[in-house]
Amino acid sequence: MIRPDAPVLLEIRDLHASVADQPILHGVNLTLRAGEIHAVMGRNGSGKSTLSKVLAGHPAYTVTGGSVLYKGADLLELDPEQRARIGLFLGFQYPVEIPGVSNLEFLRVSTNARRMEEGEEELDTFAFEDLVNEKLQVVQMDPAFLERSVNEGFSGGEKKRNEILQMALLEPVVAILDETDSGLDIDALRIVAGGVNHLAGPDNATLLITHYQRLLDAITPDYVHVMAHGRILRTGGKELALELEQRGYDWVDAEPAVLEAV
Amino acid sequence: MVAAPLTTSAPVAAPVHPWVAALLGALPAPAGLRPEITLSARAALAAAGLPSRRQDDWRFTDTAPIAAVAPQLLAPEALPELPPVAEGHHRVVLDGRPETLAAIAWPAGIEVLSADETRDALGRCLDPEGKAPDWPVLLQGACDAPVLALRVRGAVSEVLELVSEAGSGPGVLPVRVLLLLEPEARLELLQVHRSSGANLTSALVEADLGAGAELRHGVVANGGSESVLLARLAIRQQPGSRFALATVSRGWGLVRLEPRVVQSEGAAETRLRALQVVDEHQIADTHSRVRFEGPEGRLEQLHKVVADGQGRSVFNGAVVVPRLAQRTDASQLSRSLLLSDRARVDTKPELEIVADDVRCAHGATVSSLQEDELFYLRSRGIGAAEAARLLLRGYCQEILGDFPAGAALWQAPSFSGGPEEIRR
Amino acid sequence: MSSASVGELVSQPYKYGFITDIETEKIAKGLSEDVVRLISAKKEEPAFLLDFRLRAYRQWLQMEEPDWAALGYPVIDYQDIIYYAAPKQQQKKASLDEVDPKLLETFDKLGIPLSEQKRLSNVAVDAVFDSVSIATTYKEKLAEHGVIFCSISEAVKEHPELIEKYLGTVVPSNDNYFAALNSAVFSDGSFVFIPKGVECPMELSTYFRINSGDTGQFERTLIVAEEGASVSYLEGCTAPMFDTNQLHAAVVELVTLDDASIKYSTVQNWYAGDENGVGGIYNFVTKRGQCRGDRSRISWTQVETGSAITWKYPSCVLQGADSVGEFYSVALTNNRQQADTGTKMIHVGPRTRSTIVSKGISAGHSSNSYRGLVQIGPKAVGARNYSQCDSMLIGDQAAANTYPYIRSQQSEADIEHEASTCRISEDQLFYLQSRGIGFEQAVSMMVSGFCRDVFHQLPMEFAAEADKLLALKLEGSVG
Repeated sequence: MIRPDAPVLLEIRDLHASVADQPILHGVNLTLRAGEIHAVMGRNGSGKSTLSKVLAGHPAYTVTGGSVLYKGADLLELDPEQRARIGLFLGFQYPVEIPGVSNLEFLRVSTNARRMEEGEEELDTFAFEDLVNEKLQVVQMDPAFLERSVNEGFSGGEKKRNEILQMALLEPVVAILDETDSGLDIDALRIVAGGVNHLAGPDNATLLITHYQRLLDAITPDYVHVMAHGRILRTGGKELALELEQRGYDWVDAEPAVLEAV
Repeated sequence: MVAAPLTTSAPVAAPVHPWVAALLGALPAPAGLRPEITLSARAALAAAGLPSRRQDDWRFTDTAPIAAVAPQLLAPEALPELPPVAEGHHRVVLDGRPETLAAIAWPAGIEVLSADETRDALGRCLDPEGKAPDWPVLLQGACDAPVLALRVRGAVSEVLELVSEAGSGPGVLPVRVLLLLEPEARLELLQVHRSSGANLTSALVEADLGAGAELRHGVVANGGSESVLLARLAIRQQPGSRFALATVSRGWGLVRLEPRVVQSEGAAETRLRALQVVDEHQIADTHSRVRFEGPEGRLEQLHKVVADGQGRSVFNGAVVVPRLAQRTDASQLSRSLLLSDRARVDTKPELEIVADDVRCAHGATVSSLQEDELFYLRSRGIGAAEAARLLLRGYCQEILGDFPAGAALWQAPSFSGGPEEIRR
Repeated sequence: MSSASVGELVSQPYKYGFITDIETEKIAKGLSEDVVRLISAKKEEPAFLLDFRLRAYRQWLQMEEPDWAALGYPVIDYQDIIYYAAPKQQQKKASLDEVDPKLLETFDKLGIPLSEQKRLSNVAVDAVFDSVSIATTYKEKLAEHGVIFCSISEAVKEHPELIEKYLGTVVPSNDNYFAALNSAVFSDGSFVFIPKGVECPMELSTYFRINSGDTGQFERTLIVAEEGASVSYLEGCTAPMFDTNQLHAAVVELVTLDDASIKYSTVQNWYAGDENGVGGIYNFVTKRGQCRGDRSRISWTQVETGSAITWKYPSCVLQGADSVGEFYSVALTNNRQQADTGTKMIHVGPRTRSTIVSKGISAGHSSNSYRGLVQIGPKAVGARNYSQCDSMLIGDQAAANTYPYIRSQQSEADIEHEASTCRISEDQLFYLQSRGIGFEQAVSMMVSGFCRDVFHQLPMEFAAEADKLLALKLEGSVG
């Protein structure tokens, strides 16, 4: 939903970043307003996953230039947990397994950390279980997964559902979903996409990072950005994704004019 | 669990152990490359006496078979018939005589080191941690064996077969080998120790692997009920090198194998595989130690035991990962089959880790043949004895498969046979 | 654990480090036959016990202090230790009202209320202060069931026949250097006797407190469960902060007869010394249980977080057919602490089974070793052991060592050992942080997750306690 007067939630300006002294992002510009769904597409190595990690504050990535404003305030100076508490959410491409740490406990501690930031009351064990049972329906997840260790032994689809469950609990302002569709079968994709659509609203924004069109069949983006060589090369509507689907990514390299234009 | 601390230095006035005294009396004056080392080894041996079970390193190992060996050097005798040389193998027989070494023609890529080079390199890999030498090293040093010192360049296409045949005579047969593998050199080595008498083979192999070098080292050790083998392998690995050791021992009254590997800057690959078979009153003891002196080293160790009769098996496997050895990936598995109620298995892994970003896993099992596996085979019509034979063969094959094909000629037919044959 | 409580915990120093200002009766420093006689006389002991002590003392004189564990500590001067210290309150009081209020206050501060109105429900407590037991709660209620729970000094007076029958039968006085020392000079400790067929109606607990700076603590605990009896017992320990080292050399003996079971849990939080390794307790303890009866069971659970040096191997001798031994351990070391701990499972009888789960966490410059022995004797047909030893390293200055000995003389036995080493990965931390969980809490969640298998074995209220303790101990060790 595009509303030109909607407030800007995330503003990325000329962002440069590197990992292990290797520059990856070479000046990314992107603005997310409330209510919008953006898709960033690009092939492997284009820098799109780096963008998501930098926004979430992964310690292995160093910002070497530019700025990111979250609701007008500097995002980059915050610790990862602080970013999460104020409403930034990263859905991981490969959610890690954390043996021994109960999923339920993890969800509760994290939800409470977000709630406290918002000045809401902490939920006790019972109140939280009610909440989590309600949210489980969004992703059609078996409550048995709550009793297990975080992501441990989960299938690819179960891990992604667990990510969306966390998103449902944390109610983020800006959700970044990194390759959420990878490794999902059709049914799982439908459920995950359903969850994302359900959670997208007029007051938040979503940034989908994806390789393929198929996720965008299920979640309609307002904007599609093509990323290559650490920059956003083209921006268009949802039809740009279809064009990519038909023509592949090679033309991105083949059109030097496009490069010049940036 | 309380044991006396290990000491190799005895009080000054202590009388020399009679076996050691007799051996020292029987040894000729040092004639080797480093007489001062020979003399200091003799002095240290006199002070140390025989290893004792009060020493932590020998706690589980009865050293009586050593004392039962005549304290003298083994006199060269006519060799028993050896199996034919396998295709692609280059055989060298080490009988303790310097003149034998001088007469050998070497395959392409292998050359004998000069006396100066040997003197310079000898002992370099032996004492990486600066500790007092252990007993088998002292014994070997005191015996002043002629040194087979070789340099390896490039890939050697033939399998180098080093045979030490102690035969049936009395006394000590010292065997000393030094290998310098130049960077990127490749060598396949098959070492054979045989004995049928009341004698002691004291073997010491040093190998220095240059960057990217590869040494595949097989040891086949077949002994008799009064034979003793004490073998130390001191290996130093430069980054990018690969060392793969496979050992199989059986029949010895006492066999002790001591592979000691140091990855001097990490980033090398070490693979240790061993099968030790004991029966009757035999004792087999492996004390391995792998130390990573730099990051990103790899170790894969599999130690297998078959213990029958009143045999004793000891395995002590140390893995040392100091702080600078980040991202080490080491695994050690010890599996023991205990086939008799009078046999005994002692297993003692030792993991010492000071780096936080490492993967070190180890495991140990001690059991008999698995009932369910036996049952599965029997339910397919295979008789109990045959089923046991098949399982045991499969169990051993995991190690035997690591040897060059020509090694089969040295394995008694037993290893393709069943448990009864293994016992022989 | 709520986020608030961890935040609160990680910002606290050792909170049990206070000293109670109370008049203490101490004997002069040093150890001699006269001192052994004096201790025995002060406690008005029968002749058999004095003989036991003297025999142990003479054996101790002949023994050498062990050094095989390669624990680095300065030589202990056994003549510079006080072997008996007691708060000046001559007789043990008939009622708690007569106990010095300062003592009650001390245990209140430690979270172990002894007064009637504040007591932990369903947990009977024996409180030991320096060398003597000052109070035991719920004694009458336990007596109704025939359960004896009292200080060992009282037991010597009131049940001498039981003490004579069992004392020193599991850990002989010459078992090792520190056990011999304890046998000679032990001052107090707890005695538990659960008669035939009785399931102890409540948790039993002993709380040990060292208060004096120059006193050694040598307590002795003996628990006997007769045929079909069962009991769950927990001990806790704290000490004030001193910059000198104090010696704690306890002996615990457990006996189970046919079908009996004892579950023994420890939360050990003696003072560990400061971050430079100054001060702290030397915790050299001998704990052993003997499953004498068929189908009996002994289970050790320990959470070891304190002491400058810990040296203990709670063990099970599995004599009875089908008897079961268990050992669940969490050992956390930080700063300059050294822990060398593990277990011995001695399988003697047929079809005996044992389980070992050990979790070691090393942080700072500490050293944490698992040392264990699984021994299967020739008569232990069908014996089984499963061991799992995991180490977690925090920082690259800490050491984790694993020495699991296995010795088997029985072909029809299965022994399985697994061990692994892990650390908290940057990706796991980032994942938790990106969900709003703070750094320290993320670490403490992962550490307690790592220990979960062991915490499950602790009685409920103590599991939470143990969890908090770990968070507290890890303060400042990461990042």
